[in-house]
Amino acid sequence: MPGTPPGMGRPNQRNGAAMTGTARASQQTDPAARHLREITASGAAELRRAQAMWLLPPLLWIGQAAVVAAVFAALLQDMPALIWLFAMAGFFLLIGLARVALESRATERLAGIARRLVRQMRDDLITREAARAPHDPARPDSAALAVLMAEKLDHLVPHVTRYRPAMVRVMVVPLTILALAFWHSWAVGLVLLVSGPLIPVFQVLVGLAARDASARQMAELGTLNTALLDRLRALVDIRLLGATDRMVAGFHDRAEALRASTMAVLRVAFLSSAVLELFAALGVAMVAVYVGFSLLELINFGYWRTPLTVGEGIFLLLLAPAFFEPMRELAAAWHDKAAALAVADEHRALQARPLRAFPGSGGAVARLAGAATVRTVGLMVDHGTPLRFADITLAPGASLAITGPSGSGKTTLLALLAGLSAPDAGQIEVAGQRLDDATADAWRARLAWVPQGVHFLSGSLRHNLAPGASAAMLADALSRARAGEVVARLPRGLDTRLGELGAGVSGGEARRLMLARAIHAAPDVLIADEPTADLDPETAQDVTEQLLALSARGVTLIVATHDMRLAARMDQRLELAAPGGAL
Amino acid sequence: MRHLFAILILLWRAERTALLRGAALSIIVLVMGLALLGLSGWFISAAGLAGLLGLGATFDIFRPSAGVRFLAIGRTAARYGERLLTHDATLRALAALRIRLMQALAGQGWERLGRLRGSEMLNRLGADVDALDGAVLRLAIPAVAAGVTLSLALVVMALLSTPLLALASIGSFTMGGILALIWVTARARKPSRRAGRAVQALRVRMIDLLRAKADLAVMGRLAAARDGVLAASARLYAARAASDTVEHRASAGLGATSTIAATIALLMGAVMARAGLISAPQAALGFFVMLAMAETLAPLRRGLTELGAMLDAASRVDHLLQDVAEVRHPTQVAQPDPMAPALELSNLCYRYPGAAAPVIDGLDLRLQPGDAVALTGRSGSGKSTVLHLAAGLITPEGGGVRLAGQPLTSWPETALRDHVGLLPQRSTLMRTTIAEALRLGAPDAPEADLRAVLEAVQLTTAITARGGLCAQLGEAGAGLSGGESRRLALARLLLRRPSLLLLDEPTEGLDEATAAKVWAGLRGFLPRATILAATHRLPPASSLWRIVTMEEKVAEAKHQFDSHQRI
Repeated sequence: MPGTPPGMGRPNQRNGAAMTGTARASQQTDPAARHLREITASGAAELRRAQAMWLLPPLLWIGQAAVVAAVFAALLQDMPALIWLFAMAGFFLLIGLARVALESRATERLAGIARRLVRQMRDDLITREAARAPHDPARPDSAALAVLMAEKLDHLVPHVTRYRPAMVRVMVVPLTILALAFWHSWAVGLVLLVSGPLIPVFQVLVGLAARDASARQMAELGTLNTALLDRLRALVDIRLLGATDRMVAGFHDRAEALRASTMAVLRVAFLSSAVLELFAALGVAMVAVYVGFSLLELINFGYWRTPLTVGEGIFLLLLAPAFFEPMRELAAAWHDKAAALAVADEHRALQARPLRAFPGSGGAVARLAGAATVRTVGLMVDHGTPLRFADITLAPGASLAITGPSGSGKTTLLALLAGLSAPDAGQIEVAGQRLDDATADAWRARLAWVPQGVHFLSGSLRHNLAPGASAAMLADALSRARAGEVVARLPRGLDTRLGELGAGVSGGEARRLMLARAIHAAPDVLIADEPTADLDPETAQDVTEQLLALSARGVTLIVATHDMRLAARMDQRLELAAPGGAL
Repeated sequence: MRHLFAILILLWRAERTALLRGAALSIIVLVMGLALLGLSGWFISAAGLAGLLGLGATFDIFRPSAGVRFLAIGRTAARYGERLLTHDATLRALAALRIRLMQALAGQGWERLGRLRGSEMLNRLGADVDALDGAVLRLAIPAVAAGVTLSLALVVMALLSTPLLALASIGSFTMGGILALIWVTARARKPSRRAGRAVQALRVRMIDLLRAKADLAVMGRLAAARDGVLAASARLYAARAASDTVEHRASAGLGATSTIAATIALLMGAVMARAGLISAPQAALGFFVMLAMAETLAPLRRGLTELGAMLDAASRVDHLLQDVAEVRHPTQVAQPDPMAPALELSNLCYRYPGAAAPVIDGLDLRLQPGDAVALTGRSGSGKSTVLHLAAGLITPEGGGVRLAGQPLTSWPETALRDHVGLLPQRSTLMRTTIAEALRLGAPDAPEADLRAVLEAVQLTTAITARGGLCAQLGEAGAGLSGGESRRLALARLLLRRPSLLLLDEPTEGLDEATAAKVWAGLRGFLPRATILAATHRLPPASSLWRIVTMEEKVAEAKHQFDSHQRI
């Protein structure tokens, strides 16, 4: 059995370098590809070692093939010793088990690298987005971000565990086998040389077709999901309007369209792998036929000096499928690259968003000492158009209404006063201290916040109001916010789980529950964003009275509102000008 | 497992022929793969033997080489056909399953319907059904194909070499393979189930953190919420690591099994050939077949590592399919009597599930055709509940509801929805145009009607300002103010022209003047309809409306009950 020809490694390396060179040139033009490279750069050394280990199993197969060829050559030519047969079978088994062990170890390492990479990216995103100011205009859509973290980042895993290792194998294994084939017979080498490169050519052609089809399918999938979510949220209304059957029929048409476009993508994908298999199968069949004919001495060409022996024939036949195998692996992993690029692009766009930091840590700390005064000097926030705010001075127990048209920065100002965001110029002084990273947590401990849009956390109503508080502890706050009856009406009282937008309670009831939460927090300052918007006059009146009752107990009130009746009941009023008007 | 079988049977029934053909083709693919390598091995060694013996000229070279080419091309074609057929059939069956799920979701009890989270239902219809495609493509079909192919291979190899060789090699391979697969089945379920839960927790917690960030920060709970998301991320990582380990070990197990089986074939074949029991080409045939054998079980491995996720998804989907709730199929269909009271509630009692005291106790109410009644009372007095009872959304604990003289229970769902229009306290709009939003319940309404109904609810100006009937609404109807969406929902209900209108706070969020015009407008649009409206405030033209106050009714009923007790 001839061994590996000397100098084998060199042409490979040259070729490999040339391929990465062209790959690099194309990657420089594509920001997603560059980002993908940067992402995976952190564990590059480890990745290279795992990929090198991944290279070994197909090379070990060459050894197994040599053993098998030797056994059959011996069986056909003479009577081998029994002990020799056992030894050869032992070799075959040992190399085979080593191959399996190496392959398993390499996969495990690659999977480990991919898992750690994904977790690192996920945790970085969580930490980064948690540290973003809540009203930052550059904040990403929460549902899209959650999907990216929980699902899409996982698409990077096959890129690391399948696509990149397949690239490495494709650069080394076919060339090694080609060299061995040429070493024994130039005809077999030629067969492989001709059928091998045809495969990538067809792959590229089919891949181009696949890209269009899969883009169409992704678009179809996107609209289907959006439409579906919309309809699912409105299911009660749809049924009440007797439109269930029509809705189901419409959904059926869309689902059918999605199936058709999915099949279009799959058809191209299956066709491309069929083409590949066909070439591989024809290549192997041609090798087998050539070897057969030349063993029968019906063909007298294709070898160097001596005609092909039986052993060499079997050896070459065993290597032929292994020549095509890495290309099949790469083809199977081809769409992993596209998926990883799409995710990398989304991740890059997310990282490129400017971040307005959130002051403090958001943890529970002791309250800031001192009388709850608020004083602002020359506040300015630049969200594209600069918003300048007139200076405010509030004594403890004061009440302030912030009014002005939409877009004039009412919510922005509330967020600044609550220490939820830092101004671009000017400063805020609370309880005699400057409001900054060091004091923000302690200042917020003295506040309560009533948001305009209610989002109930998943979990019980109790978890939303005050985790761990007993019904008795909450009873006073609930009754003062007139929310006691709301809770009594819920099927499981404080332990009821509400839908995310408060399904199970009406808009006015949700507002009253938020107010009860604020009252329970026993704040020194209560900040409310449009507390009476979208309420009927009676409920609005109720909410106003409850706010004034708090004010009478010495709580400072800061309210942003359109409601002039509410604004008129506050002692101070700040009218904000339309955006740009203050310049 | 029971649920997964139930779903598999469902899918199988939906696309029986195509799946059967697909399974047959996948057997052909596997058999041809075995035959291709076996024939090639035999051909080379036989040709080598003939060459050595100088019999090259008499050796029949054409039939085996044609066979090799046929098998190579045939296998490729069969593989292509099999993939196309099974994927198409599976996608079709899953689309049908989605439709059934959608119907099941829409037919659920009203209480649960209102409480379900849109994103959770999307998961059921999307991710859960997607997880089930593997049950057919990577579990059921490969299992059947592998079983048949292995048995076929055993018989054929026994005939072509010796039964002993066939039994030892294929038998050991099958045994090892089955052991590895059983091991995966036992071990892979827990981690993949854990991963599924961790993904869910991650998503929900992250959305909570982002949407309620200001609230959490002021409550000092933001840092804890972030740590909660990070904890879910860590759990997901651990679960993925555990399921990866199972997958790698199973792969290694299968790899070792096929290496050992091939070694057995090599050694036994060689020893038998040396002893002259079989020829060397026969030994080669056996060995090469064993090399191709790994392909029979490999597809199953991937399917089995997904088993945990599949079982979870199957049980959720199956539960949902099974509790298709109370769709009304009354035995005798009601004939509405136009002269009878439009709505008659007699001695009605209702108690929220789990509540101690009933919210409605002995309510009597009768509306003649064309009546307009305003149901008032403080919030929590059960106004909405009365409307829900009248619309058949919930079932009373005692007493009865009659619509147009017929008991509610004898109304089929479709007729009931056409007859009764309920405006619930919260309505949801969709991402459609204004015209589509209006036509949701009345697909054939002409444009003149759309304009008239918008005028009736005082929306003409607001809608014109946004671009008229063709204006596009955003997700969940974004683009309209709270009061405007409420009126659009009212308009879309009026357009259906129900005989009985049940309105829950139709003017909530409106100023006095607009509210008055809306009251008048809805009466003007449906002059003959019977109207029962739950409201905090009284309609302005009170002469046309009868006012019923809930407190009195309930107090009265309680009083009667008390006096009965005393007697």
